[in-house]
Amino acid sequence: MAPMELILELTLMPLIAFLVGMMMVLMMRRIAAKIQRRVGPPLLQPLYDIVKLHSKRTQISHGLIHDIGIIMAMGGYIAAETLLPVPGMNGIAEKGGIITLLYLMMIPSLGLALGVGQCANPNGSIGIARALTAMLAYDIPLVIVIFGVAYAAGTTNLVDIIAQQQAGGFAAWGAVEMPLLAIAGLIAMHASLGKQPFEIYIAPAEIATGPMVEMSGKYLGGLFVMQCFQLYTTSVLYVSLFLGGGTTWFDFLLKSFLVLAIPVSIAYLFPRYRTEDLLRLMWKWPVMLGLIGVAFVL
Amino acid sequence: MSSINQIPVIEAKRGNPLSKVFDELVRFCRSRSLFILHYCTGCGAIELPPAMTSRFDMERLGIQPMVSPRQADILLITGYVSIKTLKRVILTYEQMGSPKYVIGICSCTVNGGMYWQSYATAKKLDEYMPVDLYIAGCMPRPEAVIAGLQQLMNRIQSGEANSWEDYFRNYDYYLGNQQKLFGDNWQTPTDIITEAKHYNLMGEGTFGEHTRLLEQHQKPLEALDMRLGHNLKEPTE
Repeated sequence: MAPMELILELTLMPLIAFLVGMMMVLMMRRIAAKIQRRVGPPLLQPLYDIVKLHSKRTQISHGLIHDIGIIMAMGGYIAAETLLPVPGMNGIAEKGGIITLLYLMMIPSLGLALGVGQCANPNGSIGIARALTAMLAYDIPLVIVIFGVAYAAGTTNLVDIIAQQQAGGFAAWGAVEMPLLAIAGLIAMHASLGKQPFEIYIAPAEIATGPMVEMSGKYLGGLFVMQCFQLYTTSVLYVSLFLGGGTTWFDFLLKSFLVLAIPVSIAYLFPRYRTEDLLRLMWKWPVMLGLIGVAFVL
Repeated sequence: MSSINQIPVIEAKRGNPLSKVFDELVRFCRSRSLFILHYCTGCGAIELPPAMTSRFDMERLGIQPMVSPRQADILLITGYVSIKTLKRVILTYEQMGSPKYVIGICSCTVNGGMYWQSYATAKKLDEYMPVDLYIAGCMPRPEAVIAGLQQLMNRIQSGEANSWEDYFRNYDYYLGNQQKLFGDNWQTPTDIITEAKHYNLMGEGTFGEHTRLLEQHQKPLEALDMRLGHNLKEPTE
């Protein structure tokens, strides 16, 4: 691949991810509104929020690590986008593989932990402790699921996994071949989004949005951008692993939005679990389903 | 400062011809995305849940509730403000990032309302912080709240809602009124004068006799102890 073409892809992939991610945020808020019988926000609401937050006159920083933490939170996902193949563009997905992607998807939580640590707000500290506990909870089923898929495909290369599924047609999709792993993956994905009933670290009524409590202006704006990337990364990873990726953009976007709509629709119907309940649930059901699924694959 | 129109607005000179378009965009986005922090002090709070939920749905105007003052743009004071509450309201207000807007709901924030004769109630909210908008009524219906918020949106879009600058430019006036209520050794954790210097928001009224009084006893800010259950010091001490 020509270097210019690669640079173009590496620039375009996060940009597309950001635009699609904003539409996903809008979809999430619209679904919440429909469930609560409201009208919901207008079409460009996520953009208004982000522009407004970045255009605040006073920006309250709590120090250098606070600034760097937010950059890490966004940068981890931006790096992850270049490893996620989209129709027509592979970026550096062939060289990276899923294991690198998994590592990169953990960086935002760690960056947030650094940034929140310097805010010296007890709510923030409790929130980030819960966020890392939640990461511990959902990463174990996620790793089992990804191991199963990679073992079945015989490769950790995401491009090859997608190519194998597309070559075999619908019957070769991960969700059809490995339904147990797909269900476990869906639960793990729901937990990794941090939505209800797994919303232990945001918890507005209890710890005042946890990690976000001291964030104002562009710092909160950075987290809003991060949320766009988070929704995109999670749903596209699931689509790539289990739904055969996308041959066309229409196909690809339809699948990613549909996959995201499942946890989001469930989310607004439930209150949330406590931390220990989340751990117990995540280490019991998705892990059990995932291990049985892996046993079938082996 | 009896009227908002008396506040001097100093236009910054911008060289770039695109800056006007950019400012327009920023003002539009600011008016369409308002995060409210409702400081529910009195009965007016009961009118906010219907304004936010399915009946009147504020989110279709881009208004959504936030839980921390750092994240919020609007401070909604919904009801009477006792002197003890007012301290917290001022601390909350000073922590918010500018541009910030204050809305007083109910007649209690306008003139004390039915608590006029109370010894422990701050009568007029705009003596202690610049108020952008009052929504009078006892209590105003959700329609009135939303109509008021729409008025604020129009003012933000046209660039008139600048009263947050007044707190920096006339800090001496507001501090004087606060000192009258809370005593001479009143100090908030947010250093408004340094902030005004940093953001170039100094005005003629920033300094005065009251700020001189503050500087006499002002203690430098220290990071809070991170232990839970530790008896945290009151910021007023």
